[in-house]
Amino acid sequence: MNDAFLISPESEHRGAGCPNVNDLTEEQIRAELDLILDRRNADTRLSTMGAGSDDLDAGRRYLANTVLGGWHVPTWPREHGGQDASVNQNSLIGRVLREFVVPDLYPFAIGLGMVGPALLEHGTNAQQTDWLKPIASGESIWCQMFSEPEAGSDLANVALSALQDGDEWILGGQKTWTSRAVWAQWAICLARTDAAQPKHKGLTMFAIPMSLAGVEVRPLMQMNRDAHFSEVFVDGARLSDQWRIGEVGEGWRVAMTVLAHERAGGGSRGGGDGNARGLKLPSWIADLQVLVGEQTGDWRNKVAALYARDAASRWTAQRASDEARSTGSPGPAGSGAKLRTVNSYKGRSYLANSTSGARGMLEDSHGYIETLTAPSMSIRGGTDEIQRNILGERVLGLPGEPRLDRDVPWNESRRGLI
Amino acid sequence: MTEDSLVDPLVTETAHRLFSEICDHESIQAAEARGQAPEIWNAFAETGFPWISIDEGAGGSGGSLLDALEVLRLVGYHAAPIPAAETGILGGWLLASSGQELPDGITTVVPNGGENATGSISGEEVLISGRALRVPWARIAERIVIPLAIEDQTVIASVDSAQCDIEPMTNMAGEPRDTVNFRNVRVPLALATPDVDLEAFRFRGALSRAALMAGAIEKMSQLTVSYTNDRVQFGRPVAKFQAVQQHLVWGAQDAALARMVAETAAREATRGAAQFEIAAAKLVANQAAARATKACHQAHGAMGMTQEYPLHHLSRRLWSWRKEYGGDAEWSKWLGQVAVSRGADQLYPLITGGSAALN
Ligand SMILES: Cc1cc2nc3c(=O)[nH]c(=O)nc-3n(C[C@H](O)[C@H](O)[C@H](O)COP(=O)(O)OP(=O)(O)OC[C@H]3O[C@@H](n4cnc5c(N)ncnc54)[C@H](O)[C@@H]3O)c2cc1C
Repeated sequence: MNDAFLISPESEHRGAGCPNVNDLTEEQIRAELDLILDRRNADTRLSTMGAGSDDLDAGRRYLANTVLGGWHVPTWPREHGGQDASVNQNSLIGRVLREFVVPDLYPFAIGLGMVGPALLEHGTNAQQTDWLKPIASGESIWCQMFSEPEAGSDLANVALSALQDGDEWILGGQKTWTSRAVWAQWAICLARTDAAQPKHKGLTMFAIPMSLAGVEVRPLMQMNRDAHFSEVFVDGARLSDQWRIGEVGEGWRVAMTVLAHERAGGGSRGGGDGNARGLKLPSWIADLQVLVGEQTGDWRNKVAALYARDAASRWTAQRASDEARSTGSPGPAGSGAKLRTVNSYKGRSYLANSTSGARGMLEDSHGYIETLTAPSMSIRGGTDEIQRNILGERVLGLPGEPRLDRDVPWNESRRGLI
Repeated sequence: MTEDSLVDPLVTETAHRLFSEICDHESIQAAEARGQAPEIWNAFAETGFPWISIDEGAGGSGGSLLDALEVLRLVGYHAAPIPAAETGILGGWLLASSGQELPDGITTVVPNGGENATGSISGEEVLISGRALRVPWARIAERIVIPLAIEDQTVIASVDSAQCDIEPMTNMAGEPRDTVNFRNVRVPLALATPDVDLEAFRFRGALSRAALMAGAIEKMSQLTVSYTNDRVQFGRPVAKFQAVQQHLVWGAQDAALARMVAETAAREATRGAAQFEIAAAKLVANQAAARATKACHQAHGAMGMTQEYPLHHLSRRLWSWRKEYGGDAEWSKWLGQVAVSRGADQLYPLITGGSAALN
C-alpha cells in the first residue's frame, strides 16, 4: 500500500465561498490540484483494468480527496460531488489532471463513468441525492449486471425477471461476467418485467444492494488470473420500488444511456497515460525503450505509428465524452471512440510483448497481464463487431441487420431459433 | 515417395486416442496448478512415444523424425502439458548423438538464446557453471541436457537435475520454464557427432515448436467453429454472421498454413539440412498464431476469456511457443540475410528450391 492520496488539511479549501470553478484559469486549476495531489513523473505507472491488483484504498483516498473540489466529476452538480463545470472547463480540468498521479480507478469506473451520468439523466431526485455523492467520493462501488449466459451481444434478450408485489419487486435469474461484483455495494441491473412484450419493451432497470438476501456472487477466473468478474445468482431477492431507475418498461432506454457512456468514457479521465506536460514521453514508450535491444528502423516506425494512433484515439474519446456531457445523452460517437481506444490498447500491448522477446513468455514479465487482457478489450462493453454495426446503421445509414424477433413477444421468440 | 516421407497412420491414431482419453480440460487445468501432469506423462511414456525417432540401439523407440513430429503436433492439438519435445527430439537426440544413455524419465534441454550456462573442459570431464533461463519443466526432469560449444567442439553435457539449484518460473501458459543454476557441476565429457552443433540444435528447437503450434492452431480453429455454431444470439447461431465467419476463415486459413509449413519442414528435415524450410515454418507459424489467436478469441466473446472454457489452454501456449526458439524478428532476419547474401539472381531458386538451393 502506498500512502499517496492522504487527505491533507488544505483539501478543505474548496468549500462554499470559493470562486466558481468555471472562472478558474489553467494555472489556477493547477495550483489548486497541487495542494492535494502529487505530480506525475516518468515512473508513474497504472495497473491494468484491475487485473492483478486488489488495492481499493489508493483510489478511495484519491476520490475522497478530490471530491471536496469536485475535481473528478466536475460537470456533476455541486451538491452531488461535482462543481457544475461547463463542458469546456471540464476538458481543461481533465487535461491538467493528467499531469498528476491518478491511481487506477478501475474499481470505481462503473459508478463514476456510467451509473452517475445515467442517474443524472434518469434518476429521481432522491436517488441522485442518495447515490451520486458516495460514488464521487469513492465510498460506494457499483457493478453492472447486464450480461447473462444467453444475453451477451444480444443484451435485449435478458431473462432475469422482476415481478411486482405491492411496492416491492421480486427478482430471480442469473447474470454473468459481472466485473467488480466482488467489491460492489450496488449493482445496476437490467431485468425483464413483462415477458409478453417484445424483447426491448418488457425491460426495467433497477439498483440492487449487493448485500440483499437472495443475491449471491460467485467469482469466475479469467485467463489473466483476474477473479474480479463473476456470476451473480439472484433468487427471490425483494427490492423496494424506490430502487427502480426510470419508468417500468423503459429499461432498454436506460441501458442504452449506460452503455453509451461506457463506450464514450473508455479513454477519458484517469485511464489514459498521455504525455503529461514536462514528461518527454508517455510511460509506455519509456518502458519499451528499456525493453528493446536494438532500436531498428522498423521498431521506431511501429512506435511512432502507435503514438500517433494513441493520441488520435485519446482525442476522439475525449471528443465523444465531451459530446456526451454537453448533450447529456451520448450518441454513436462513443462507438467510434471505443473502437479506437481498444485498437490502440491492443497495439501497445502487442508491441510491448513482441519487444520483450523471449523474456516476454514468462508470467510476470513486463506486458504479461496486458497481453492476456488485450483480447477482452474488443469484447467487453460491446464487441468491435457490435460497435461497427452501430456505426454502420446509425452514422452511415446502411440498411439494418435483419431483426426477426423485434416485434415478437419475448416469451414466444425464446422458444426457438427464428 | 519413400516410406520415410510418410507418417505412420498408426502413430497418429494411437497418439490421438491416448490424448483424447487422458488429456482433458480438467487435467490440463490441474497440471497448471501443480506444475506437472504425472498421469498424462506416465501414460504417454508407457507407449514409448517420447523416444520416437531415436534409434532403438541408443535406447530410443525407433521410427522416423516425421512420426516424432506428428506426435508433437498432437501434443499441441491437445495442449498436453508434458515435456514431449524436450525428452525426445531435442534432449534425447542430443544424448543419442553423443553416445550417452537415455534416462527412463523426463529429460529437458537448456534452450538456445538469452543468458546461459557455460562449460569448460578439464581432462575427461566438463565443468558447468552459470545460470540457464526458461528451461522447460526442469523441476520435474531427471536430466538436464546442455549443448555447449567449447574449443570448436560440440559438447553435450547431461546433468543430474538433483545437482542443480532450480527456481520455479512459469510461462504464459502456466507451464514450467524454470531458472536453473549450475554451481560447478562436473559431468563426463561427451562430444556430439559432427552433424550436431548448436546451430543444428537451434533449428531443431524451432522445428519442434512449429509442429506443436500447427496442432494448437488447428484445434483452436475447430473449437471456434463449433462454439460459434452452438452459440445463439439474436435468434441465430453467431456463426451465421458474416463478421464472425471472417474470423472463422482466418482461423482455418492459419491452421492450414501452419500445418503445411510444419509438414514441409518436417519432410525436408528427414532428408537432411532443412534450414530454409524450418526458418520459414517457425516464422509462418508465429505469424499464424498471432492472427489466429486474435480471430478465435474475438469470435468466442467473453466465454473465451474464462479459465473454465478451454480456449486459453491453446492460445496461451501459442503465445509462449511463438517466443521460444526464435521470435518473428529473429527468423525474419535470418531469412532476410540469407536472401540478401545470395543476391537477386538467386532469390527465385531459393524460394523454389529451398534448403537444397543453399548448399
Ligand atoms: C473482461 C470482461 C468484462 C465484462 N464485464 C461485464 C460487466 O461488468 N457487466 C456486464 O453486464 N457484462 C460484462 N461483460 C460482458 C460483455 O458485455 C459481453 O461479453 C459482450 O457484450 C459480448 O457478449 P458475449 O461475450 O456473449 O459474445 P457473443 O454475443 O456470444 O458474441 C460472440 C461473437 O459473435 C459476434 N456477434 C454477435 N452478434 C453479432 C452481430 N449481430 N453481428 C456481428 N457479429 C456478432 C461478436 O462480436 C463476437 O465476435 C464483460 C466481458 C468481459 C470479457
